This record gives sequence, C-alpha cells and structure tokens, in this order.
Amino acid sequence: MLVFAISDKGGTGRSVTGSNIVYRRALQGSDVCYLDFDFGSPTAGAIFSVSSAARGTAQGGMHRYLEGRLADPHRIDIWSESDREGLRTKPPGAGQMVLFPGDEGGGEFSTVSEEMLQRCVRLFARLEEEFDLCLVDLSAGRSFAAQMALAATARLPGVPFRWLVFHRWTRQHIIAADGLVRGQQGLLAVGVQHGHDEEALADHIRFVRTAVLEPDAAELEGLRETQKAWLNECDRELRELAGRHRVGRTSMLGKIPLDPVLQWREQLISDEDVLSSQIANAETVAAFDDLAKKIVDDSAWEAL
Amino acid sequence: MLVMGEVRTGLLQNSGEIPESLCQSVLGLLSGERVRVSRRPIVYAVSPDQLTGVDCRLASASRARVRGVGTVLSRASVTGGRLLQGSSHIRVVRSESDHRLSWSHYLARAGVVEVFGKVRVPDLAEGFAENGARDDCLDLGSVSERFMDAVQASPFLDRKAPFRSARTRLRWVAECGGPGSTGTGNTSAGTGAGAASGSAASGGAEIPGTGVLSPEGPAIRFTLGRDQVRTLRLVLPGGFTPGVVDFCEDLALHDWLLTTLLVIVERARVGTATRGEVTAKLAPAVDHLLHLWMPAARLDEGFAPFWETLERRPGFSRQWQSLVERVRDQIAINTLALLREAGGW
Ligand SMILES: Nc1ncnc2c1ncn2[C@@H]1O[C@H](COP(=O)(O)OP(=O)(O)OP(=O)(O)O)[C@@H](O)[C@H]1O
Ligand SMILES: [Mg+2]
Repeated sequence: MLVFAISDKGGTGRSVTGSNIVYRRALQGSDVCYLDFDFGSPTAGAIFSVSSAARGTAQGGMHRYLEGRLADPHRIDIWSESDREGLRTKPPGAGQMVLFPGDEGGGEFSTVSEEMLQRCVRLFARLEEEFDLCLVDLSAGRSFAAQMALAATARLPGVPFRWLVFHRWTRQHIIAADGLVRGQQGLLAVGVQHGHDEEALADHIRFVRTAVLEPDAAELEGLRETQKAWLNECDRELRELAGRHRVGRTSMLGKIPLDPVLQWREQLISDEDVLSSQIANAETVAAFDDLAKKIVDDSAWEAL
Repeated sequence: MLVMGEVRTGLLQNSGEIPESLCQSVLGLLSGERVRVSRRPIVYAVSPDQLTGVDCRLASASRARVRGVGTVLSRASVTGGRLLQGSSHIRVVRSESDHRLSWSHYLARAGVVEVFGKVRVPDLAEGFAENGARDDCLDLGSVSERFMDAVQASPFLDRKAPFRSARTRLRWVAECGGPGSTGTGNTSAGTGAGAASGSAASGGAEIPGTGVLSPEGPAIRFTLGRDQVRTLRLVLPGGFTPGVVDFCEDLALHDWLLTTLLVIVERARVGTATRGEVTAKLAPAVDHLLHLWMPAARLDEGFAPFWETLERRPGFSRQWQSLVERVRDQIAINTLALLREAGGW
C-alpha cells in the first residue's frame, strides 16, 4: 500500500510523524519503506539517524532517480545503517525498514514530464512488490510531487493508496488543511484532472492532528482556573471549526500529542525512550502505534 | 570470450499461480512472437528474445574508460506460473573497427557488444561482478528489470500477491574458452564464437582474488552480497553455449526461493508467536513455494557438475530441505495443538 503524507503548511510534523508511523509498523511486523519526496528539503535521514543522508544522499536519491539519471535509487536499511545504536538491531519478527532518501541539493521540480511520471509509476509498482507499506513524504503545500503522486496512482489501479493530511490544532491549520484537500487546485481537483473519481479519492484521504495539547493534559495542571476555562473554550471553538471544515472527528485518522522529545528533536521514539530513559511520553508512542495500525485497517477507512 | 549477464527474480504479482495459457498472454506482451513453453517437470514459459541497442561505457575494475557498442539479449520467463525472471546478457568481443559501425552490423550480432581498443578480460569481469552499474556504465540488471516490470504491469495479473518479497539480483560473469583461444588474457579481434579468448584455461586470464577458479577445468564461485545481490563467476573451458544462461537463471530462481523462504520462516517467530500466528505466516510458503524446488531440472547435462559443486557448498538443497521440514513440522504440530484445544483429541 502507498501512503502519501502531505500538509498545507511547513513544519507541521509530517516527516516526524510519518517516520514514526513507519517505524511502528515495522515493529508490528510489516515490511515498510519511507520515500523522501520532499525534494526541496530532504531531511528524513536525520529523523532515522542516518548522518550520511541527514540532508539527502550524495549517492543518487529519489530526485535523481525521477530525473532518469540512475536506475536504482540509493536505499538505506535502517536496521543496519542507522547511527543510533538502539535501532541497529532488528527486533525478532520486525519487518524490513528501508529509507529512500532525497538528494543533497536536489530542489523542487518545476514540471512533471511524462518520462518522470512513468519512472514514478515504475518505482511505486516495484516497491509495492516488496513492501507492505510505502510512505511517501511529499513537501508542504501544492507541489509537483503531489501532482505526480496523484497522476501515478491513477495509473496503478491495482495498487491501494491512502493520503494522510497533517495539520496542527490551530485555526489557521484547520482551515488550510481543508483548503489543501477541497480548495482550488487542491488534492481532489488535481486528482480529478488526472483521472481519479472525486468521491473515491475523498474516501482515501484522512486527517492527522499533530503536536496536540489537550486542555486536560498533565502539562497544564498548574494553570489557574480562568486559564483552564479559556483553553477549554478555545478547544471547543476549534472542534466546531474543524467540524465545519470537514476536518473533524469522523475524517480524522488520529492525533499525536505534543511530546517533549519531539519538541526538541526530530527523531524516532523508541520504547527505550519511554521505558528506560523515560524522556518521551508513553501516550506519544501509543498514538503512533495506533495510527500505524489504523493506516492499514480498512474499517477506519470506510466511506464517510 | 567474456560473457556477462544479470538475472533478476521475483514473485509474479498475482494472487495465485497462473495457468499455462495465461503465461502466453502475460509474456506475449513483450513482442508479437510466440512464447515458448515447456511443461515437464515444471511449466516454464519464456518470452522471445528481446534486443536492446547500447553504446555506452562498460564497468571496469581499474576504472578504465571502455566503450562498448552492440546489443543486449534479454528475455522474461515465468516458472511454475508463479516466479518471474528477467534475464539479460552480452558477449564481449573486441571490435575490428576503431569507430562505431552502422546499427545493421550490430543487429546482425544479437547479444554481442564490441569494445574498442585494448581491454583486459579480468578488468572487465571484475568491474562488472563487483560493481554492476557504476557511473553510467552498462546496467544489465536494469534492462532485465524493465522486462520484468512490463510483465508485472500486465492487465492479466490481479496484483494481489500472497506475500511481499524482494527481487534478487544475480550478476554473472563467464570466461569461456574454446577453439581459437589465444590465451593472452585480452579479447582478441573478432565477432563470432570462433574468436573467443581470455579463458582461464590457457592460464593468461587468471582472475585475481578468486582462488577457487581452477585453471584446468570448469570452475564456479557463488557469492552472496548485500542488497539482494549475488555474484556468480564461471570458467568454461569448453566455450560459450546458451545453456550457460539457462544455468544462471536456474540458479537465480533457486537462490530466490531459498532467500524468500528464509525470510518467511524468520518472520513467523516460531516459539514466540502464537501457534495460529505461526501457521498463518508459514501457510503462503506451503501454498506457493515449496513445490517449485527443482534444481537443474531443465538444464543440459553438462551443467550438472556445477550444481553438484553448489550442493556441496553452500549446500542449497540441504538448507532448503531443512527449512521445508521445519515449515511442515510447525504446521503439523500447530494443527494438532489447535485440534486438541478445540477438544477434538
Ligand atoms: N508530536 C509532536 N510534539 C512536539 N513536537 C513535534 C511533534 N511532531 C513534530 N514536532 C516537531 O515539529 C517540528 C516540525 O516537524 P517536521 O519536521 O516533522 O514537520 P514537517 O511538516 O515535515 O516540516 P517541513 O514542511 O519543513 O518538512 C519538528 O521540530 C518536530 O520535532
Ligand atoms: Mg519534513
């Protein structure tokens, strides 16, 4: 299955959440890969702690592959090549976890040619043979990468795909997420131009809220009653706004709580980080775990 | 003469095995000609030969700039209605000319790539075996893979494979002797079979770092690399025959089966996961793979010694048999346990 990760705004938590979902899914026993299609700033290597690809690879990544300059894009086996010691042993029963990094100094595409699209289709079809889940991290906003993804999936009717739209829990983010899907030149409109059925495509799109601070979170315990009341009111308003923009509970696949570790550093959160060093919150891992299951759980994707 | 090729092997993207009649349609997409099928001891269907014209650098261990012009000979095949292979190879000879000739010249020599200037066989052999397609050099693997992709994209396949699996890459290099061998270690001028040279049989083309290659008789060395790459080095004093390609494809097929079964068994977490889970993970192997093991079934007699060598070390069939027994035992035990739990025993 192909899963496309997109957000309207930058810095939403798309890459960090996407990487952690992939990691959780591998631990759950699936063969997974992560494709860095954020050609302008391919930083997935840093999240997986592969320093040689922290800002993209020099050995031929996604960008150069799509340009037709190499036949086999560089692949990084995280279980053996990560710099992080805790990641370098594949737990028994875990699946493969492979990163296809972007290119150092790649840059966004300014057009999608037919040849490029064909290469993209071929890549997706090949990876589908090998991996249960391929997560494609697109850049923020309406990009050529997103357009290519829509066009490619329209040509691969036998390959299941899903879209995750990431957004933060704020007014601006909620409105923007709706616009990215249903607005002018949004995913649905562009998808239809490339041959998707609008309703069917809409059924393959869900929203994910990132870095959410619930009004009743432990972090907010010391607040005054007046502050708590105000926060509750804000949250209520946001929920209402989200509902109006069809970004509400029914079209949401999951939400990830604000996590102290992720606020400081873009990384995978291991069980170790929660259990032994206790730097990360158990709720964060539980949310990633849950999302990793829901992505492939058909009952979470029934037509709305 | 130097012959090199790359075979890529993978699971046909279909829920079940496809019948012989469908093999025709699926492989027939590659060209108008008929697909060849043999039925015993296993259904094997192979596409007509495909030619790809090339004019590019050939990999060389010393990174010398070696230009080759000619055609790559490729084919796609389906074994047991279940496994797909893309296979490409070239025979390397020295060009008699110092410039590129008309394409009709090269098209008349299917699968021959002519190189310009003086080249050393071990340098090319080593360069290809070790690095495959480095720096824009001829990439036989990606040619093979293209033909596989075309088959996998066939509308006759439902794309619902029973399990995920990686394609494997077997890169092979054969140094072939035969009549006309000059023993200089260089490719001699010529375009046909009679102009072969560079065989280790004549002592001049000893391949550095491959101690097992005996200078007297046929020799074989198989190496497992990373990223699903395997390399196979062959010395064939008797010269090149198309049977070499069959042998390499057969080996690639069985290596894929073994590689894939190992992964399935590892993932089943025998002893840790519940009996139901273990059985569910192993079942696809029983349904789709175990019956496909038939090493050397379709090969010329002459290649039997090669298989025998490989059976001694690394011992393909030994490892396969022990895995198969493990799978069957697990399924038997788990079925018994489930029956007992259900109160039937
Ligand atoms: N649940 C979370 N809690 C706290 N911080 C988070 C959380 N998720 C992400 N972050 C932080 O937010 C920042 C942006 O995250 P990330 O880089 O994943 O976003 P992005 O959408 O991929 O950004 P870009 O558009 O630049 O690619 C990072 O510093 C990250 O660590
Ligand atoms: Mg990012």
